[in-house]
Amino acid sequence: MHHPVRRLFPYFVVLAGIASLAWAVTFGTLPPADFSFNNGDEVKTVDPAKAEGSPEHRILESLYEGLLRQMPAASELDSDGLMPMTPQQGVAEFPPEISEDGKTYTFRIRPEARWSNGRPMTADDFVWSWRRTLHPETASQYAYQLYYLEGAQQYNEGVLEVGDRVEIESGERKFDLQPFPRGTMQYGVLQNIIKPPQPEGMDETDWKRTWIYQVDVKPELEGAVQWDAAGALGFFSKARAAQYDDDFDAGSLQVVRQVLPHFESEVGAQAKDDQTLVVTLKNPTPYFIHLAAFYPLYPVCRECIEEHGEEWSRPENLVTNGPYVLQMRRIRDRIRMIKNAYYWDADNVKLEVIDAMPVKSETTALNMYLKGQLDWIITVPNTIMPMLRERPDFRPAPALITYFYRLNVAKPPLDNVLVRRALNAAMNKQEIVERVTRAGQLPARGIVPPGIAGYTGAETGEFNIKEARRLLAEAGYPGGRGLPTIEILYNTSEGHRAIAEVIQQQWKQNLGINVELRNLEWGVYLDTVTNTQFQVARAGWIADYPDPNTFLDMWLTGGPQNNTNWSNAEYDNLIHQAAAEGDPERRMQILQDAERILMDELPIIPIYFYVTTNMVKPHVRGFSPNVQDNHPLHIMSIQKD
Amino acid sequence: MLWYLVKRIIWMAGTLWVVFTLTWFLMRAVPGGPFDAEKKIPEEIRRNIEARYKLDQPLHVQYLDNLAHVIRLDFGPSFKLLDYPVNRVIAEGFPVSASLGVFAMIFALTLGLTAGVASAIGRRTAYDYGFMALATVGVAVPNFVLASLAIVLFVFYLGWFPAAGWGTLRQIALPAICLGAPFAGYIARLTRTGMLEVLGQDYIRTAYAKGLRHRRVIVRHALRGAILPVVSYLGPAVAAILTGSIVIERIFALPGLGIHFIEAATQRDYTLAMGMVLVYTFLLFVMNTLVDLSYGLIDPRVKLK
Repeated sequence: MHHPVRRLFPYFVVLAGIASLAWAVTFGTLPPADFSFNNGDEVKTVDPAKAEGSPEHRILESLYEGLLRQMPAASELDSDGLMPMTPQQGVAEFPPEISEDGKTYTFRIRPEARWSNGRPMTADDFVWSWRRTLHPETASQYAYQLYYLEGAQQYNEGVLEVGDRVEIESGERKFDLQPFPRGTMQYGVLQNIIKPPQPEGMDETDWKRTWIYQVDVKPELEGAVQWDAAGALGFFSKARAAQYDDDFDAGSLQVVRQVLPHFESEVGAQAKDDQTLVVTLKNPTPYFIHLAAFYPLYPVCRECIEEHGEEWSRPENLVTNGPYVLQMRRIRDRIRMIKNAYYWDADNVKLEVIDAMPVKSETTALNMYLKGQLDWIITVPNTIMPMLRERPDFRPAPALITYFYRLNVAKPPLDNVLVRRALNAAMNKQEIVERVTRAGQLPARGIVPPGIAGYTGAETGEFNIKEARRLLAEAGYPGGRGLPTIEILYNTSEGHRAIAEVIQQQWKQNLGINVELRNLEWGVYLDTVTNTQFQVARAGWIADYPDPNTFLDMWLTGGPQNNTNWSNAEYDNLIHQAAAEGDPERRMQILQDAERILMDELPIIPIYFYVTTNMVKPHVRGFSPNVQDNHPLHIMSIQKD
Repeated sequence: MLWYLVKRIIWMAGTLWVVFTLTWFLMRAVPGGPFDAEKKIPEEIRRNIEARYKLDQPLHVQYLDNLAHVIRLDFGPSFKLLDYPVNRVIAEGFPVSASLGVFAMIFALTLGLTAGVASAIGRRTAYDYGFMALATVGVAVPNFVLASLAIVLFVFYLGWFPAAGWGTLRQIALPAICLGAPFAGYIARLTRTGMLEVLGQDYIRTAYAKGLRHRRVIVRHALRGAILPVVSYLGPAVAAILTGSIVIERIFALPGLGIHFIEAATQRDYTLAMGMVLVYTFLLFVMNTLVDLSYGLIDPRVKLK
């Protein structure tokens, strides 16, 4: 080692320290936004086809606009301090024209509606966007929100029947991971499906890939498929099965990417012309107007996706059609949105620059709110709830969210309905909302929260220790004797634990039952619930749309969200009946009958209905509490006096 | 020394591979997958999502495919942050964690070294007891307690700093101090112990005997020997600080890397978790190598082989 190096080393270290300090202070400082709010978490994506969850909802609703849009329906709050929200004109005029049978909706696209690149919107924007959402390779988790459309589920799952018109995709794509723009397309009529015998040990989905589709391929003329012309016979498969090597030589069986129903012919979304979108539904679905305003049905900009591929959702590429455009996004720091000059109602959009902050800690968000760094926070820490409830800027509102316990009806003793009823009757829900949650939640006796227009819920038995003991004795466990220990499962969280502990106490005291608590980290918890390896498991459900159906159709036999092993033919029947019922009043009645069965049978014990706990600065105008916890940013403004 | 570096690089490649393999299989072994959600999705769609991320293929194919990408420094798309490849998540978070880390480290070093030297020189004086009591508190009090107290005092009572967030120097000050405090305490203790040991040695007495001034003896001769334990400690400390602090980032709502460690693991974001683990391993290795190299420069007795 040379001596000078050693002598200079300390100076070098000091120099390096100063240099790194100089680097550390040079970060770009952003100009402040007009309005900042806590969005609660980082958004998963700004792609409506793949988003899910409330933080995404708040951002997407500002960046995009659907056919319709949920907006305040009155100028004043109602007597409960709530604002009724209804779907109103968005990209399309309101109301859409609805056919007599309630199955065909005709939307008129408004000529003022434009994309943020200036291009006027057309009906085909929706057809294309929905087709993209439904395409199996887009792999949208919320695609089922489009299943109300005729043929949509079949397209999404690639289900084909002989006689269907089909679209066949093969060859190279511009972007390999993204189904659009597509490869080489062929169209035809399906004549036969040749199914090789299913090999031992191969699962259904893999096997289906080896099916061979015999198609009468129709010619195309100037981009239009000639459905009536004579076609040429073709054989197509997604994966070649070895046993067919003898029957088909290399040329005659084409291995292709996708064989799907022909979207334009088989799916109920048609652009009659640039301004007219005709949507055909499977069933009369009275809440479809709410879905038309829900983000999975928002349009995306075709040219943007076709040009940029996977990079299309970067702020520099993204083209949207809502009141705001995405200016900048830094992960875990903020999403900055600025006013979209091309928005049809831009004149009435007051806030120019909005920051959405993904602050996860409620305490931090509250600190930032109190110090004026945030104008709106969406939740507050539970611990100081009683203190905050005194403040005028605390704006709680009941919400369409239910907190409940699932009971696994396949596990004794919970297979006995009397035991389930006893557990419900021995649960003091009032105590839970008063002593634990403390934000003004309502004890729940049904699964459907109040606040849905036209619906009155069916209720289960109330808190009654005597009755609970009687039920338990009738079930064969007088005084809790002989009853095995019951385990309550919840995902790790302070709040869930506190509630479970109170219930543990109540059941022990009121019924003499031994209750154990088990908490699992979220991912493992979901796995355990899905595989129904629990006795009692904590759950919550947020309404997808303001209709009782969103809380009720999940309990259908074998439904993906059921997870209780509960099955009731009459219940299933009622839910299906309600789906087909055209008369709104009768439909609500049928749903109420269904809820009554559910509340008699109690595969779930409802505990309480949530309240949302927004805090909004007094200088913010245009914020109104509502049961959907939907607060459009573009109608808010700031008035400082 | 060149040979030493080459050897280290080969070691690092090996270590990264072992870490990659262990992490990869551990993540796959944990129950629950990246696409489990409370609102369940139809089987067909789940298949499509898994196919998109190649999760439908046999494990060894997935493993080799992932390994091939990681070798090309491509961590792949994040499973949970769909608009972001993992590389960009790290590219956005790292500068934030690094710049916070620089402040925290400079604060910790300045305070720690000064306090340590002062305590050692004034052994058994009020300075010594005072500094060492502070250092113990700094090490013992958890980050979040310190941060909460600092927020109450500096944000709400005195109003000097904003409550949280990123983007201005004023916003960095509090988190940097809270992040640096335990390190400062530790460095102070290490420095004091090192100094006390060195001050009793013959060469220091010799230096005094030669008539060198007190300050020169301390800074030129004693500190050099005393600082070695601090330098060893700095390697892992800097690596830890550069990859972000989960607690501090959460309390101060900072967009650093730390939070991704936890989130990626709990949400089964395989690619992001892998990216984080590998970045951390790499930094740890680089810092330790730098530490080893600097030994040779600081202490004439150390020879690298």
